[in-house]
Amino acid sequence: MNYAEQFRQLAPLLPGRHLDWLEALRRAGEARFATGGFPSPREEEWKYTNVAPIEKKLFKPAAGESARVDKATLERYRLPEAWSLVFVDGVYAKDRSITAGLPEGVVLPLAEALERSPEQAEAFFHKIAAREEHGFVAFTTAYFRDGALIHVPAGLRLEKPLQIIHVATRPDGLSVLRHLIAVERNAEARVIETYIGTGSASYLTAAVTEIHLDENAGLEHIKLQIETDKAYHFGGIYAEQARSARLRQHHAAFGGLLARTEIHSELGHGAECELDGLFLATGRRHLDTHTLLRHRAPQAISRESYRGIAAGRGRGVFSGRIVVHQDAQKTDAEMSSRNLLLSEDAEIDSKPQLEIHADDVKCAHGVTVGQLDSSAVFYLQSRGVDELSARNMLTFAFANEMVEKIRPDSLKHQVQSALLAALPQADIREDWL
Amino acid sequence: MAASAKSLEKFIHKDYKPGFFTDLEADTLPPGLNEDVIRAISMKKNEPEFMLEWRLEAYRRWLTMEEPQWAYVHYGPVDYQGISYYSAPKAKEAPKSLDEVDPKLLDTYNKLGIPLYEQERLAGVAVDAVFDSVSVATTFKDKLAAAGVIFCSMSEAIQNHPELVKQYLGSVVPPADNFFAALNSAVFSDGSFVYIPKGVRCPMELSTYFRINAAKTGQFERTLIIAEEGSYVSYLEGCTAPMRDENQLHAAVVELVALDNAEIKYSTVQNWYPGDEEGRGGIYNFVTKRGDCRGRKSKISWTQVETGSAITWKYPSCILRGDESVGEFYSVAVTNHCQQADTGTKMIHIGKNTTSTIISKGISAGRAQNSYRGLVKILKSAENARNYTQCDSLLIGDQCGAHTFPYIEVKQPSARLEHEATTSKISQDQLFFCQQRGLSAEDAVSMIVNGFCKQVFKELPMEFAVEAQALLGISLEGSVG
Repeated sequence: MNYAEQFRQLAPLLPGRHLDWLEALRRAGEARFATGGFPSPREEEWKYTNVAPIEKKLFKPAAGESARVDKATLERYRLPEAWSLVFVDGVYAKDRSITAGLPEGVVLPLAEALERSPEQAEAFFHKIAAREEHGFVAFTTAYFRDGALIHVPAGLRLEKPLQIIHVATRPDGLSVLRHLIAVERNAEARVIETYIGTGSASYLTAAVTEIHLDENAGLEHIKLQIETDKAYHFGGIYAEQARSARLRQHHAAFGGLLARTEIHSELGHGAECELDGLFLATGRRHLDTHTLLRHRAPQAISRESYRGIAAGRGRGVFSGRIVVHQDAQKTDAEMSSRNLLLSEDAEIDSKPQLEIHADDVKCAHGVTVGQLDSSAVFYLQSRGVDELSARNMLTFAFANEMVEKIRPDSLKHQVQSALLAALPQADIREDWL
Repeated sequence: MAASAKSLEKFIHKDYKPGFFTDLEADTLPPGLNEDVIRAISMKKNEPEFMLEWRLEAYRRWLTMEEPQWAYVHYGPVDYQGISYYSAPKAKEAPKSLDEVDPKLLDTYNKLGIPLYEQERLAGVAVDAVFDSVSVATTFKDKLAAAGVIFCSMSEAIQNHPELVKQYLGSVVPPADNFFAALNSAVFSDGSFVYIPKGVRCPMELSTYFRINAAKTGQFERTLIIAEEGSYVSYLEGCTAPMRDENQLHAAVVELVALDNAEIKYSTVQNWYPGDEEGRGGIYNFVTKRGDCRGRKSKISWTQVETGSAITWKYPSCILRGDESVGEFYSVAVTNHCQQADTGTKMIHIGKNTTSTIISKGISAGRAQNSYRGLVKILKSAENARNYTQCDSLLIGDQCGAHTFPYIEVKQPSARLEHEATTSKISQDQLFFCQQRGLSAEDAVSMIVNGFCKQVFKELPMEFAVEAQALLGISLEGSVG
């Protein structure tokens, strides 16, 4: 049994089978996946991440309706002030979602959109992700079960953030999702993707998000990955920014056993892109973040700031690439990656890259890898804090500088609690924050 | 900006001075590569049996390897069967002293600015000159011998010191290390050999000049430097080639071994023919250079000024095996017209308290592509390892490219590592500041470019020898140091 056979049996469950264009894309994806499989560490972009453990297993997609999900778990991560779409094991759970008050037609589950307004989905589906043809992307194209279609019309500003909550419940379960976010001229939106799991068994989540930002559109996109300790996760976020479009992307990765997130954007004339991120590779986690910013037109600005912590037997990988094309004069790009390595068995691999084909540019990157400042630890100890707590406090402070950038506050507090849960001895009370 | 652009133009459109060809009778093997060619090379050099076996083994491994494709350089396929792997200036017998060396050859070196005689008196630099495939003259042998230093061509070393060659050759760069190293191991014809005995501070700078002269030949030299306990040596190499329309291959291997408390300083001024403005001709420079800090507190320092070659593929590296050993890499790489350079370093930290410093300055002009590619790897055993890396690029013109591909891998929590990179052109602010202090735009540009890679940059015009001596003399202050 392989994925092709498995999905042949489940074919009626895959949405949009009646659409020729989609069927063609699915078949192409399937063919590419069948020949290439998942990427191997022999490929330069996967040098530090070996996905053999994923390849060895055959994860199973949910068969029918979405499973019941523990309400308390869900409510812990649901933001009170946001609309939310809930996907349980990769299937849309209408009864758990809160969409009341959303302007008509702005947000639809992708499966529903393919029935009701396929031309809308066709306009955006696999337009950007087509450039990222590795095994995982092909896999999601071939086998996606659902996703969200968010289409904000020109000039509209979504008043509340929209949260997409992914919950994995079944052992050896498989969730395959494709999200489409399109923000038209002068429109603005805030989207939060939350990935969580229940239970203690392993599962695989593979999600691809395509982001189209029209002229002067604005999007704040936050991805919070707190999968369970045995989970496998692949997330691709691929964006294209038209003239003067603004993208703020924040990525917090705290969970999973083996997780990889790719964040790519192509910047048009005068576009602005801000990428912030934090990963916490504790336990046996392998957390990999790849970013790629392509400055295609003049005067775009990008700011990228990542922090990573590797402890226990964890491994953190950061690869950031900035490409400045020949026409992209007056580009201003900065990237920094700061990393804390806290244990003998942990590892940090960092690969910051600049590829520059224009001369009138300002580009810089910086990387540091080190440990906690021993004099700061000593200072706290001299004030009566024991060493372990002192170290945890300083580690928290290092990470919290990134978390502080997260909006809205309710989400920031959620991330802070997740951070404190990973540093139990920090001796920091949440109400201090 | 007009005036400054002009001064940049002037800088960019320098002629390639060493581009002449010397008409010498040469003993050249027909093009092609097979086991017989390797046997012929080995026989011509009158090598002991173990060398031939070593070469053949490398050749067999090479046959199974593929040419690396990962570097950010683009070139047509190299026809390895179209190259002659051995070319030597014809001489009845090996020259016993400088007086016996073919005057035409000496004249060539004079044109290049390496007056071998003058050097003896003035500069006090011992020179080993390698012409196409063989070493033609080594100066100052006696004085060096008095200090116990062995400085000779590789072929002589194989004849006279086979035990040292056997022990160290291939111990830093194994024959099958990579495609080009394997090719070199199979067919290398000559190179320099340096042995500094225990506690000896080499009394003078050692220097080698490489010259590719004959057409349709490749140059494959192999350099081996061994610094015994507590010794010190400073070594300079320079390279040139005539101007030709076809591409010529240069695949060298350099191995350095530093034992306890030893220090090796290795400087390169690479000015192989870069090809013309349209990118025709030029040398393919595929070089493997690696230093092994085997002993405690040993130190290896690479300094390179890379201005020539159509394509440069070169990563002088340090393996910091001994505790408290030090690795350094200082580089200025200039690419112009259609030149492509993919160069950088590897620092592998194995011993405790090892430190490494990487300073790389890339200047890209015309339609050139200039990449820094480096690896800093800190293994679990390398407690308190320390690395500082800085790579800056300067772009001159809107059709060139400058790229940075650093790899950082850390497995030891007490390690501290910093990496910084910037890319920019000469800013209007800097120009304005200099000009409002009364400097002409031209002076301002030259001042800024000079400042960008301070001490090494002034050596770019490549007036060899005495200047090269000066290059080594300059203390590595400021950014480089």
